[in-house]
Amino acid sequence: MLAEAGSTTTSRVEQLWLQDFRCFGSVEVSFPAGLTVLYGDNGQGKTSLLEAVGWVARARSFRGVPDAALVRRGAAAAVVRAEVGAGTRTRLFEAEIRGQGRNRIQVNRQAVARRRDLYGLLRVTVFAPDDLELVKGGPAGRRSYLDELLSLVGARYDAAASDYERVLRHRNALLRGPRHDELRGASLAVFDEQLVRAGAELVRGRLRLTARLLPAVDAAYRALAGHDAVIHASYEPDWCEPLTADDVDAVEDLMRAALERTARAEAERGVTLVGPHRDEWRITIGGLDARTQASQGEQRTLALALRLAGHAVVADLTGDAPVLLLDDVFSELDHARAEALVRSLPAAQTLVTTAGSLPATVTPQQAMRVAAGRVETMEP
Amino acid sequence: MAVYEGPVQQLIDELGRLPGIGPKSAQRIAFHLLKAAPEDAKRLARAIVEAKERVSWCRRCYNLAEGELCAFCRDERRDPHVLCIVEEPRDIVAIERTGEYRGRYHVLQGAISPIEGVGPEQLRIKELLARLPEEGVTEVILATNPNIEGEATAMYLARLLKPLGVRVTRIASGLPVGGDLEYADEVTLGRALEGRHEL
Repeated sequence: MLAEAGSTTTSRVEQLWLQDFRCFGSVEVSFPAGLTVLYGDNGQGKTSLLEAVGWVARARSFRGVPDAALVRRGAAAAVVRAEVGAGTRTRLFEAEIRGQGRNRIQVNRQAVARRRDLYGLLRVTVFAPDDLELVKGGPAGRRSYLDELLSLVGARYDAAASDYERVLRHRNALLRGPRHDELRGASLAVFDEQLVRAGAELVRGRLRLTARLLPAVDAAYRALAGHDAVIHASYEPDWCEPLTADDVDAVEDLMRAALERTARAEAERGVTLVGPHRDEWRITIGGLDARTQASQGEQRTLALALRLAGHAVVADLTGDAPVLLLDDVFSELDHARAEALVRSLPAAQTLVTTAGSLPATVTPQQAMRVAAGRVETMEP
Repeated sequence: MAVYEGPVQQLIDELGRLPGIGPKSAQRIAFHLLKAAPEDAKRLARAIVEAKERVSWCRRCYNLAEGELCAFCRDERRDPHVLCIVEEPRDIVAIERTGEYRGRYHVLQGAISPIEGVGPEQLRIKELLARLPEEGVTEVILATNPNIEGEATAMYLARLLKPLGVRVTRIASGLPVGGDLEYADEVTLGRALEGRHEL
């Protein structure tokens, strides 16, 4: 797993049709291979356009809202169609997103039953204003940053993450159940084993990914900040000593041992205390905890560096550069950092939204204005 | 929200209690039945009543049965020493279609699922344990579903049965025959690689 890939292609969204998606009635947009800038005031639908592209990749909103929020008021379903190109190949993605009930998704007119089967169709890297939370917020955000990247590089990690989540729910239900029950002990032993299998797979993926990411984060940070800084990330489980990629073969045994140690505490508290759902990914800049001891500027730079590094690692491992979606990112950055970000952007199809102006060094292939749910191409 | 008159609403409510049928489907089916010829509706009602009256659980394997024992338990040509353990009667149908299996079955009537409050005691496991010595079973094939709940059930049974000295096997998971490797999802393909065998 995580094998080295050869040459890199760039996948792209060539054409996008929306019907009853968010504020859009019916809209058709074509995107060139390079950079497209979407101008418009707040609340006009710029971000919704990025969100629709993101939906093609992930079959869910990157803003973390339920599908019902994507359907235009009064409509029964939203329709997203997109032509997705990779290399010389173009595929047609079609989705009917319903507020209630199951969505219908097709690729080249073939029904797609599970989200996992979309794997590899389109990958996106999203930059959003609230990315700062990646650095400033709790460990959950950093865990999902890692898990999202893992799901882009291999479907097995996506499967491990969803298996793990389900095993955890079963196991917690058992722990909350009646205490002194012979049968519970035997059931618990079975779910312990499943927790270890799925959990260790996830931890191993995160450890290997961390080793891959660190040099890329370093490089991206240096490019953005204009000076060197020693960035380190350490994987710190709640249930054992910090782990590195050298420990991948030991994870299962460590988890089993931890489960044994905490059995009494788990029974008392009625909740699973061992596993990747409790782990921290602690980032330090020059030895200081980035979450609590870095300046606001350093935190912002680090958040951008994490996104750029994730993009680079996914492009490297899959041989396919994801589409970059930059949602209103420049408004948050000072002049120097905005210029540095523009210089650091990798070669990939890129969609940028802005309510104001952009750094002068941004030279888009296409500029569009989004107003009241309509999209118009602007003269250069 | 009861918006229709007595019997119509009652029909919609009853249909809506069936699995996989939401309020809108219930309404559609109810109106279909009301529009249909009286004979059609009566035939459906009779079929339900008759099935309910005549079909019950096989007292040996807990498959559906007309009478005391199901067709497989009555069939003397079947090998009584091999038991295939499945979650639901419909799984027997799937295995029978292969034509590869000549042993008998045991239906658990579910899988371990703590989220839904289903533990081993809610499954037909006691009944399975009683069968092993009674029928001289030598091999048990665990054919529960390859999902979290099915795997948990298989693991639970394996731990329970192995000390009793019977051979315990688990069905393999892998690629559909006639499928193309290129179109197999990565997870299934990964499992198939793990379960590879010598040629």
